[in-house]
Amino acid sequence: MSKPAEHMVLNAFLMSTGHHEASWRLPESNPYAEADVHHYVNLAGIAERGKLDSVFFADSPGLWGASNSVARRPPQTLEPTLLLSAMAVATSRIGLIATATTTYDLPYNTARRFASLDRISHGRAGWNVVTTASTEASANFDYAEPPTHAARYARAGEYLDVVLGLWDGWEDGATLGDKASGVHTDPDRVHRLDHVGEHFRVSGPLNVGRSEQGHPVIVQAGSSVPGMALAASYAEAVFTAQRTLELGQAFYGQLKEATRQAGRNPDHLKILPGIVPIIGSTEEEALANERRLNELMVLDHPLAQLAADIGVPVDRIDLDAPLPTDIRAADEIQGNRTRYELVVEFARKENLTVRELLWKLGGGRGHRTLTGTPEQVAEDLQLWFENGAADGFNIMAPVFPSGLETFVDHVVPLLQDKGLFRTEYAGTTLREHYGLPIPVGGERTRRSQARPA
Amino acid sequence: MTRKLSLNAFLHDTGHHEASWRHPESPVGRAHDISFYVEQARTAEAAKFDGVFFADVPGFWASTPYRPAAHLEPITRLSAIAAQTTHIGLIATASTTFYEPYNLARLFSSLDILSGGRAGWNIVTTQSDLVARNFSLKAIPSAEERYTRAQEFIDVVTKLWDSWEDDAITADRESGVYFDVDKVHQINHVGSHYQVEGALAAPRSPQGRPVYVQAGSSNEGRAFAARNAEAIFTAHQTIGDAQAFYADIKGRAVGLGRQPDDIKILPGISAFLGDSESEAKELEHYVNSLTVPAYGLAQLQNLTGTSLQHLDLDEKVPAEIFGDAGNVLDNSRSRLQVVANIVDREQPTLRQLLHRLAGGRGHNVVAGSPTQVADIIVDWFENGAADGFNVMPPLYPQLLDAFTEKVVPILQDRGVFRTEYEGTTLREHYGLDRPESIYRAGAAAVATA
Repeated sequence: MSKPAEHMVLNAFLMSTGHHEASWRLPESNPYAEADVHHYVNLAGIAERGKLDSVFFADSPGLWGASNSVARRPPQTLEPTLLLSAMAVATSRIGLIATATTTYDLPYNTARRFASLDRISHGRAGWNVVTTASTEASANFDYAEPPTHAARYARAGEYLDVVLGLWDGWEDGATLGDKASGVHTDPDRVHRLDHVGEHFRVSGPLNVGRSEQGHPVIVQAGSSVPGMALAASYAEAVFTAQRTLELGQAFYGQLKEATRQAGRNPDHLKILPGIVPIIGSTEEEALANERRLNELMVLDHPLAQLAADIGVPVDRIDLDAPLPTDIRAADEIQGNRTRYELVVEFARKENLTVRELLWKLGGGRGHRTLTGTPEQVAEDLQLWFENGAADGFNIMAPVFPSGLETFVDHVVPLLQDKGLFRTEYAGTTLREHYGLPIPVGGERTRRSQARPA
Repeated sequence: MTRKLSLNAFLHDTGHHEASWRHPESPVGRAHDISFYVEQARTAEAAKFDGVFFADVPGFWASTPYRPAAHLEPITRLSAIAAQTTHIGLIATASTTFYEPYNLARLFSSLDILSGGRAGWNIVTTQSDLVARNFSLKAIPSAEERYTRAQEFIDVVTKLWDSWEDDAITADRESGVYFDVDKVHQINHVGSHYQVEGALAAPRSPQGRPVYVQAGSSNEGRAFAARNAEAIFTAHQTIGDAQAFYADIKGRAVGLGRQPDDIKILPGISAFLGDSESEAKELEHYVNSLTVPAYGLAQLQNLTGTSLQHLDLDEKVPAEIFGDAGNVLDNSRSRLQVVANIVDREQPTLRQLLHRLAGGRGHNVVAGSPTQVADIIVDWFENGAADGFNVMPPLYPQLLDAFTEKVVPILQDRGVFRTEYEGTTLREHYGLDRPESIYRAGAAAVATA
C-alpha cells in the first residue's frame, strides 16, 4: 500500500449560474452568465485565490433535453476548450479541464485543440473523456440513434490511443530554433504515428509540440463497468457520484485495484467524488438556503424526464409518494446507465418521495448534497479523504459566484488548518497540482516499436 | 458614405518570410507563446485594423524542418486573444473537409460570443493528401467533391447559427421559463453528406453568423466565393491581375443577385519597410540571404506540383517548365499560375525565383519607404483592384510595428483609413450587414431552408 497523498485535490466544477437548476432564478444571479466570459474569469480567479487545483466544464454537442424541460435553465452556450483558453490568459495557476466527446469528433482535431489549450495555459489543461449518451447529440451527427454503450466505449479506447499517440509524437527538445544552421525542428525527434485501427487511420505527426506538463491530464467520468475499465487503463483523474461513504470506499477500492491490474500506479489516478455544498453559518441557515433553491424548481419537466427514464407513465407517479416498484431494469438502458442506477438506488435507500428525489436531483444531478456549516462540510471531506473513499473532491457549488466564494473563504481555510490542503501552489502545471508524473515524449512510440509487429 | 479601406493583419509565427525566424532580432523562442500573438493583436488594434487572421492546415510536414511549422489550433488561439482585446476582428481558418458541421458551428458561435461579435471564418476545403491521412482518408477528395461538400456544410452551419431567433431568451425569473421554445428551431437538415437535427446548443451570437471569408482563387474557389464569401483573401503580383480578379468576382456576385459591396476583396501585401527605398531593399536582400534553398524548393513543389531540384540555383528557370498554367479559370491550383506568371514576366534564375517566393508564397512582396507602400495601397484601393489588404509582415513584430507606426498614419492622412473604430463587431468594421435569422417569423428564406 502506497503512502496516501498529503493534500486532497479540489476541483471546481463550473456551470453558468450554478449546479442547482433553479439557480438562475435567484434575484442575485445574472441570468445571462452562461454567455459572459467575465463571469467565468471571475470564477477562475476565485478558485485560484483559494489555491484550488482546477476548474472543470461538462459538455455535450447538443441542446439538452428533447422536451420543453430544456427551456427551464440556461443552455451550455460556450464550448469549453475555447472558454478555458480565454480563462487561461487571465489566470496563472489554476488547472483547466474541458469535457469532449470521443463519439462525435475526430481524434486529430481533439488532440490538437487540447494540445493548443495546454500550450496556451503553459501546462494546465485536462481532457475529460466522455462517450456522450444523449440522442440530442447523436441526431446532430448523422445518427438516428446513439451508438450502443459497448460501441461507444470500443471507439473511445481507440480514440484515446490515437490522441495519446499524437501527443507522444513530439520528443522533448524537438524544437531547436537554431538560427545559425537554419534547422528549426529536429526531424528525428518528431514521430509519425501511422495508426491503423478499426475506427481510425491516422498518420500524424501532430502539428503542436509538447507543453510544460508534457500533455494534458486525462480525466474520465463514467462509473459503469466499461467506464471503469477505460479509467483503469487511461485516466489520471476520475469524477464520480458516490452517495455514501461505504459506496465511495467500495468504488475507490475497486478502481484503484483495477488500475493496479492494468499495470499502472494507483496513485496516478485521483478519484474525485462530486459534492454540492450548501453552506450556512448555522445548520438552520444552510437548510433554509437549500429549501429556498428547491422551492424555485419547476417540477413538471424533471418529472416527465424521470418518468421516461424509469419507463412509467407520468400520471402513475405521485409526487408525494415513493417511486413505483415496477420500473425498467438497468440492463435495458443504452444511455447513461450509471446515472439511472444511481437515481433509483438512491431514492429507495433514502426512502425519498418523488418530490424529494426531484429536489435532490435538481440540486446535484445525483451527486451528494452537503448541507451544513463550513465545519460540517470540512469534516465530511476529511472523513472521506482519510478513509479510502476519495483523493479529493469535485466541488459543485449550487450558485455562482456566491457558492464558490463561500467554499473558498470558509471551507478551504479549515481544510488548510487541518493540514489537508495546500496554502500555496507548489508548481505551475495541472500535473504538479495533482501530483502526477510528467510523461516523457516519444515513450509510447518507443514502446510500440520495441514490441514485435 | 466614403468608402474606407480594410486592413487585416495575417499573423504567422515570426513572420511571412520563410527565413524570418533566422533574423538576429527574431523572437523565435516565443513563436508558441500566446502572449506573443496577444501583443501583435494589440498592436493591430491600436492601429484600428479590422481584424487579425490565422491560416491553418491540420497536418505537420516533418520533412522540411527549416522554419517553424507547428501551429496551435487557431480558434483556440483566437479565444485567448479575444479575452485580451476589445475591438479587433478575429478570423480563423477551418476546413469543411475535416470538421463535423455541428462541431464547427459551436466553435465559431463560442468565439463570436466570447469576443462580443468579432469572429470570422476563413472557409477552406484543404488540398493535401498528408492531411487526409490524419483523418482516416487515403487521399484528398477531388476539388469538385470538396466544394460540393463545402456548400452543403455552409448550408448546415448557416441554419445552425440561425436556429435560435435573436429574441429567444426571455430569462423570466417569475415563471421559470428561460427561453421560448417556439423561437428555437430544429434545422432537420437531410442532405447527401450530412443529417443534422439541431438546434445549436447556443443562442444566436452577436453577429448572427461569423463573417464568411474565403481564400482560394481557382475556378471552383471563385464560384464558391461569389456565392458565399463576405471577404476574400487573395494573392496577386500585379495591379492588372488584381483588377481582373476583382472585376471577375464582383461580376459573378452581381450575377447571383448580390451587391458588389457584399464582398470585400483583400489581396495580400508583404512589405519590407525602411526609411528609404534602399534601406528597405537592403533588409529584403538580407532576409533573402538567410533562406535555406532546400526549404524553398520543397515549397515551390508544393505550390506548383513541379520539382525544380534538377536545376542549378543560378540557372534561368525555363519558361516552359510550368507548361500551360496560363489559364487560371481552367486550373484548380491558382498559385501555380502566379508562379508561372513571375517566370514569364521576370525570367529569374532559380535562386531569384526562390527569393521572390520566400517572402509571401506567391503574395505581393514589396520593399520601399512608408510613402511608397502607402502609394501602392491607395493605388490598388482607388483603381478597382482591392477593398483593402491582408497585411503580411515579412518579420514579426518589427515590420508590423513599422507598418502601423509609419504606413497607417499616411493612409489616415489621405482619408482612406479610419482613425477610430465606429463599431465593435467585425461586420461593422467591414461595413457588412448583420444577417437576419432565416427562421425569423416572416423571413423569406424559411421555405427553402
